[in-house]
Amino acid sequence: MKRNLSTVLVLGLVLAFLIGPFLIIIAASLSAGNSLAFPPQGLSLKWVAKVFTVESFRESFATSMFLAIFGTLAALALGVPAAYALNRYRLPFSETVRTVVSAPIIVPGIIVGLALLRYLVIPAGVPVMLALFCAHTALVLPYAVRVVSASLGNLRSDIEEAAVLLGCTRSGAFFRVVLPNIRGGILAAFILGFVTSFNQVPVSLFLSGPGVRTLPIDMLGYMEINYDPSVAALSALLAFMSIGIVFLAERFLGFSRYV
Amino acid sequence: MFQNRREGLALALPAAVFACVVFLVPVAILLSEGFRGAAGFSLTPYVEFFSSPLNRAVFLRTLKLGALVTLVAAVIGYAAAYAIVNLSPANRGRVFGLVVLPLMISPVARTYAWLVILGRTGFVNQALTLVGLTDEPIRFLFTETAVFIGLLQLFLPLMIISLISALENMPRDAVPAARVLGASWLQVFTRVILPLTKEGLVIGGTLVFTGSLTAYITPAILGGSKVLMLETLLYQRVTVANDFASAAVIAMILIVMSFSANLLLKRLARARGR
Repeated sequence: MKRNLSTVLVLGLVLAFLIGPFLIIIAASLSAGNSLAFPPQGLSLKWVAKVFTVESFRESFATSMFLAIFGTLAALALGVPAAYALNRYRLPFSETVRTVVSAPIIVPGIIVGLALLRYLVIPAGVPVMLALFCAHTALVLPYAVRVVSASLGNLRSDIEEAAVLLGCTRSGAFFRVVLPNIRGGILAAFILGFVTSFNQVPVSLFLSGPGVRTLPIDMLGYMEINYDPSVAALSALLAFMSIGIVFLAERFLGFSRYV
Repeated sequence: MFQNRREGLALALPAAVFACVVFLVPVAILLSEGFRGAAGFSLTPYVEFFSSPLNRAVFLRTLKLGALVTLVAAVIGYAAAYAIVNLSPANRGRVFGLVVLPLMISPVARTYAWLVILGRTGFVNQALTLVGLTDEPIRFLFTETAVFIGLLQLFLPLMIISLISALENMPRDAVPAARVLGASWLQVFTRVILPLTKEGLVIGGTLVFTGSLTAYITPAILGGSKVLMLETLLYQRVTVANDFASAAVIAMILIVMSFSANLLLKRLARARGR
């Protein structure tokens, strides 16, 4: 009995520490008062409603969505063939290729952002949006290669060799035999990449300028000037969005098998 | 295994070239600025960086907070992971889900919550005033304590997850056997649990340590310019002073630390595979 009590106590405290702040954010966003506070002063949905009327939030939400969706798709377009080559071909320098494509995970994002700004955007006149797109793609690339590699590793390579022996072309074998079998892995990589890219701050820190901003950067900027609950409301909404996506993925895909 | 090298390279090359152009080359040029003096190669930027007491303080603070967060996360992590592993399977899944949940929430939102809790009119100060422990609000924000709490909350799940998988791989009877043979709980931990879960501890520790070193949002929101860490110092040097030499030095420090941590992990994974 004593051990049960200490288990409950330990887990209660740890979960309160991990989840509590999130619950407080939700409570604070339902406040009727004008400044950020917990416990909230009265209940209302006005701050949740206000989030949707702030022009800059709408714009930066669209920017972040665009980067997360198309950056991840681009990373998959580059990463799936690379993962396939690394798994199925006897490549010269395969270790080097693997290191190069997974390097963005090791280098802190703020450095990548600064380097892109200083050596691509400013001297070569690359548009900020394109630089952000490239940065987010590079950031997601390691996840795409790793998750798809794991998925390919679970698929026996004899079946595509059999397809080729039976007269299928090499690319036909890939699209008709391999691709349908690693669909789950690709979707898992997409979701992981999407969440990573959407929540990413340091990479975009230097690259976001006037005009183009990602949502987290916009929230940071808003917080410095305003002390109202709208950022809390937005945070809560975004958290529910991420949790919803991951929950659905787990439910229908068994997402955690791939990550 | 296909033998056609040209085909394989053609498939792998676009990703590798892309990573080189938008990533490796720009970062390499940035790092090279740290070795540039008035006449060619020199270590002047490094000497200058470390001769400033402020920079040294920030460097040491970053290491100190990283180490402290890792240590405390390990202590709490062991207690939590041990409790979770001993739950019934259904409860274990539920609690595990709750531990992983924060990882899906934006770090901005997670750090923002601490403003509500630790601010001047925040939850903690209200409670303290109500109980009568203090008349004036205590300053929590923009202190090392606030940054420490924020980082711990951000990275604790990674430690717990690593330790859970390590504890699950431990023989079930090891702890009861040691207890029956008369070991105290402290002895059980140092002689049985710790040696058997060392790898999980190193993996979790590396993730937490590198995460804390390279965190930007938490020190930026909870520490501000009063409690600078390496990343916030880098941002400040560039935006305020256009000082790219210092930025290159900080970038090198961060990359070297992050890279060596990763190397350690790889070596460990290889040792386990043997």
